[in-house]
Amino acid sequence: MTQLDALTSTRPPSSEHRDVLTQRRADRFERVEPRGRRQHTARERAELFCDPGSFVEIAPLRTAGSTGGAGVVTGWGTVAGRPVVVASHDAAVASGAIGAVFAETVQRAQELAIDRGHPIVYINDSGGARIHDGIHALHGCGGIFALNVKASRRVPQISLILGPCAGAAAYSPALTDWTIMVKEQGQMFLTGPEIVRAATGEDATADEIGGSGMHTRTSGVAHLEVEDEDEAFDRARRLLSFLPSHVGGRPAAVQAVPAPAEAVERLPHVVPEKSSIVFDMHDVLDGVLDADTDGTGRLELSPEHAPSVITMLARLDGRAVGVVANQPLRRGGVLDAKASVKISRFVDFCARYDLPVVTFVDVPGFLPGTVEEGRGVITQGATMLRAYVEATSPVLTVIVRKAYGGAYIAMGARSLGADLTWAWSGSEIAVMGPGGAVALLHRRALRDAEDPDALREELAAEYREKVARPYLAAEAGILDDVIHPEETRDRLVQAVRMLAPEPA
Amino acid sequence: MSTTPAVADVVSNVWKLLTERGAQVRQGDVLAVLESMKMEIPVHAPVGGRVVEVPVVEGQIVQEGDTLVLIETD
Repeated sequence: MTQLDALTSTRPPSSEHRDVLTQRRADRFERVEPRGRRQHTARERAELFCDPGSFVEIAPLRTAGSTGGAGVVTGWGTVAGRPVVVASHDAAVASGAIGAVFAETVQRAQELAIDRGHPIVYINDSGGARIHDGIHALHGCGGIFALNVKASRRVPQISLILGPCAGAAAYSPALTDWTIMVKEQGQMFLTGPEIVRAATGEDATADEIGGSGMHTRTSGVAHLEVEDEDEAFDRARRLLSFLPSHVGGRPAAVQAVPAPAEAVERLPHVVPEKSSIVFDMHDVLDGVLDADTDGTGRLELSPEHAPSVITMLARLDGRAVGVVANQPLRRGGVLDAKASVKISRFVDFCARYDLPVVTFVDVPGFLPGTVEEGRGVITQGATMLRAYVEATSPVLTVIVRKAYGGAYIAMGARSLGADLTWAWSGSEIAVMGPGGAVALLHRRALRDAEDPDALREELAAEYREKVARPYLAAEAGILDDVIHPEETRDRLVQAVRMLAPEPA
Repeated sequence: MSTTPAVADVVSNVWKLLTERGAQVRQGDVLAVLESMKMEIPVHAPVGGRVVEVPVVEGQIVQEGDTLVLIETD
């Protein structure tokens, strides 16, 4: 009789320890019906976000007390076959409050992602720091923030807001790259309605203080508003499809799709002759970028915040690119403090992940006045200049109509380091618009004229043709070329192939 | 019954008013054209309904967020 035989024969296979584990798992994974508008439990959310069957939980038996788990479900799975790390707050355990164990659990997941170079997706649903854990809770929250910052130099981070995220729980999303909120379900605020009322007397609902409308339109704290949890997962997965897994990595390759023929044919007619008439910049983008055949080829970020500018992930020749554009249809396409922050943040992000930045310009200028100066538009505008200067990915700029003054520079001008710049043949580039320039240059003549209005118009037309047309800039080498609108896509595709070649 | 304002989205001059009290409007109709930064910026009806108030006049300077037209919906 061998030793092994002796063991197995003298100890009949007891199932007691197996039963214990089975029971432990049953207790821990017991489904707690989600409250309120919530659709799924924390664990279900992590599973639904990842490719089917791919989610693996880290330390599922970790506990913060006698009942319940750590208050957060962490683990990894895949999205379109690529690994991602997930941290999903468990609102069924103390309303998802962040205690010491919760924080430790999240930090372990963050460190794993940073070490191995995988994106992190945070599914947030937390009332904030766990008061019972006192200073340990605060210490833990701070630790999560510090790793958010460390991770931001290494891997994409996306936050989904699927419940109220108060106090400390609101800061972590703000330190990540992109935040997606579910309408009438997700909220972010430093202080909830009761404390607001007690502190200042302001009477406001949770949604007014920190709902998806507030944050995707007014504050810009969140970048996408969606209808439900499943749509939030879909958007986050789509976002990841444009990105590499980590800094220095490469996004998944996608088949190039030419721009639709009818959109290209329409291109020369999109921009109205008269420079004061608005148009939809999306019509220009449609004639230039890869066609979005199935709704997954483009993702506009912050579409309703600072809507005078567009920031969008898209594809050109099958490669992911970041598109920045003025949107004349909204507020005339003007730049202001909020638009500057929106653009600078986007350009920074694209550059960090080697996405070419393609900028389409039709800008009437920076909005002047006391309100904007009071908002610090000088500082915010400078942030935008800095973002373009520091961008290490290819920067390509197309002036489609007006580019005046400081706004011309700010919209990815050659002087800020754009690799290649073009202007459409009908565009205008100058220190100021014809009206203002003529008033300054011909003050005396206009004062003495019999019909100043007629003279002003005549001089403005002359200025537009002789000074503002793009040929002066092209002759000076400040523009690489003056092009027809329908040539734009080819120029950009050729440029991207040269500046960011596929590795052999 | 509730009312919804169409607001100025940028500091501007009310260049043209294209509606009046009592008019029926559909969502997306152009109610006014603002002039700012030498751009003609159309203001669209956020909802369909009946115009109950137009608290501005042509030539008036308006700030971001100011109500231009008040629309009553059923």
